[in-house]
Amino acid sequence: MTKKLDLLDIQGNVIRAYGRFGFPVARYVFLNIRNSAKGRQFIGEITKKVTTSVDWGDGPGQIKRPQCAINLAFTYQGLKHLELPTASLMGFSPEFAAGMKTRKDILGDDGPSAPRFWDPIWKTNRVERHKDVHVFVALNAQSQAILEASYGELVNTINQYDGGLVIIGGHLGENGALLDYQDVNVLMKNGKPTANEHFGYSDGIADPVFEGMPRDAQNPGGRGKQLEDGTWAPLATGEFLLGHIDEAREYPPAPDPILLSRNGTYMVYRKLHENVGTFEAYLDEHGKKYPGGKDLLAAKFVGRWRDNGAPLVKAPDAASKAKFDAEFAAADDAGRDNMLSNFTFDDDMSGAKCPFSSHIRRINPRASLEMIHEPGDTPGSLKMNKTAFDTPGALSNRRRLLRRGLPYGICKDRNRDDGNHGIIIMMINVDINRQFEFVQQQWINYGNDFKAGNDKEIILGNHGDGDNNGLPSKAVIQVDPNSDEAPYILTKIPRFVETRGGEYFFVPSMTALRMIAKGIVDPT
Amino acid sequence: MAGNISGNAYALTILSPIIDGFTQDEIAYADIVRNHLQDWNALSNSPMVAVPNTYLCRYFVLDDVYTESLPGAGVLDTLSDFYPVISDPRRRKMLPKEDHLKSRYLVFSSNFYCGPNVDLDGYLTGMWNAMSSSITDVWQYCYGFKDVLEADPAQRPERFVAYMKKCQRSAALFFVGSNDEPLDEQLKALYLKQEFSRFAADNQGLDTPTLKSNFRAFLKRVAPTNVSSPTWAAGKYRL
Repeated sequence: MTKKLDLLDIQGNVIRAYGRFGFPVARYVFLNIRNSAKGRQFIGEITKKVTTSVDWGDGPGQIKRPQCAINLAFTYQGLKHLELPTASLMGFSPEFAAGMKTRKDILGDDGPSAPRFWDPIWKTNRVERHKDVHVFVALNAQSQAILEASYGELVNTINQYDGGLVIIGGHLGENGALLDYQDVNVLMKNGKPTANEHFGYSDGIADPVFEGMPRDAQNPGGRGKQLEDGTWAPLATGEFLLGHIDEAREYPPAPDPILLSRNGTYMVYRKLHENVGTFEAYLDEHGKKYPGGKDLLAAKFVGRWRDNGAPLVKAPDAASKAKFDAEFAAADDAGRDNMLSNFTFDDDMSGAKCPFSSHIRRINPRASLEMIHEPGDTPGSLKMNKTAFDTPGALSNRRRLLRRGLPYGICKDRNRDDGNHGIIIMMINVDINRQFEFVQQQWINYGNDFKAGNDKEIILGNHGDGDNNGLPSKAVIQVDPNSDEAPYILTKIPRFVETRGGEYFFVPSMTALRMIAKGIVDPT
Repeated sequence: MAGNISGNAYALTILSPIIDGFTQDEIAYADIVRNHLQDWNALSNSPMVAVPNTYLCRYFVLDDVYTESLPGAGVLDTLSDFYPVISDPRRRKMLPKEDHLKSRYLVFSSNFYCGPNVDLDGYLTGMWNAMSSSITDVWQYCYGFKDVLEADPAQRPERFVAYMKKCQRSAALFFVGSNDEPLDEQLKALYLKQEFSRFAADNQGLDTPTLKSNFRAFLKRVAPTNVSSPTWAAGKYRL
């Protein structure tokens, strides 16, 4: 029987990337709890407004689409100050308890990404009790006016608790202003919303699909897990929701009681500044030298063409891209999603189309890690080792992340780095260490699994500058090993993306929110 | 000990029993040994760096063997659980006793290049010559090591070799990461690989005559046939 999830119990941001559901603007607000009882009362009140994952409709008996979606999450410190029992707190994962800042060495948050350069709110988090981030409130609205009104209501609600909890500010905004909240918004082009981030790439393509997910579970092509026969199925629910069976046929580790954790999950919040000036300059410099030209080079960085996200494995050159574009223009939404997501690296095991250090190959290598080179093979060539694992996705199914979040700021001058522009990325997984931290440490900032030595992922890697911040970075754009072309080596890659803050959060189910609010979480 | 040899690599396993004694400060000898080993971590590099042809090695103090449950539990025990024809106290008495070590041990496990002639003596002699004072720091607390210390200095390398062979066990602990060549060959190869990557990156896209001329200069600089220089130093674990 097909798995059916309790959508009324799961917070809406787990299932929906709101930006793609008609909510182009959002505001993230962070609270510090000063009085535990009042903090719980506030949680009880705001929980009534929290948006679930349920399907919306205007018919009788249906839940209407909200003007503004509201979601909540908590840090470990926050749960402590809401007075969860110690035995429950001890059931949370060690990295969640420790917090993102202490994980800087694993995450590669060094050099300009080091916590001492983070926005004040994140720099002072976990330093002084009254500046700790405890509660995350996300407002995703259908318009800026609705967002402002909803924020006003939130502030009013908070004020009713006589300082029992306060908004903590310190988010860096335009011209160095420090704001009480983090605003994000879909980037507009010619008055129309886009799925782009500030470097110009389409974002949020091929987000994972898991069992029980409404709508998407029917279309797992390229987004779920690949089975032995090459077909696709949704990933196990337990990779993204606690209290469900995961890809190892086990329940992921979770705190007691089960009602506290079931249908909840962990969320990784990261503010990533994008050095647009550096990116454009580097792309220009190498675009002139790279035989394929600037547009193809930009595509090689990510594994997708910048204009419409066409994957390089399907459109590796100008001719195939033109054909892809014609089909893409004629396709409906489902067809387009399929064209963008449904592919493998099986015909590109040597990386000639999509380089090993490109963004999409590193973030989700699909079956491409099952590669070998045997004596007698063409030098530089790799091929699929079909017998090594039970299924093609064996090495990647347990490293998947749901990606939420939107860009922030506006890039006014593409020659400069210092504007207020970047992306707030929120990644959802049940095991921060196994999923997010592994991908960040082993696949983004290190290349050994891709037979790329210590080459980092081109866009997100914590590239060194050769002076104080490690060795200068390089990456290789592979070519067909049977051709006479030479691989192109990207030298001295600068840091395109810098971390400006972040933290690990727990996203409780609706049941758990109500229990936390009542103070009745009981692990015995 | 043929099982200890793979190609030109030798897996040496030494277990030296530590004397069951203590110092005036009430610290057991085994703990002193461990202290010395831990202090090596604070040095800029391991004293083993000076020992020729060491691929990889480990030192540790083995306090005891570890057990996870009661031994036994074969088919008959399971049957006996269902049909207890033998009383439980009697059954427990029949179970094998838990094993423990008679002493604490200094364990030294090393993979090194032994060459086609399997030269263990040469390796151990080289080890003594390279780090006799560090060896004495830790091994002085082991049974039998006084044979080495009390010998005439000229005799000590030979005594050390004999002592180590006495402590040798047949276990074959192979670490990965060597390709069967002498250490200096391997270090030179790693150096060349790194330098060649840099050369490729720095010279891509140049016209053929320039490339050829740069490559000649490169070859002259890195001297591929000279294993001793320029090269990586032993013990280098960072690029």
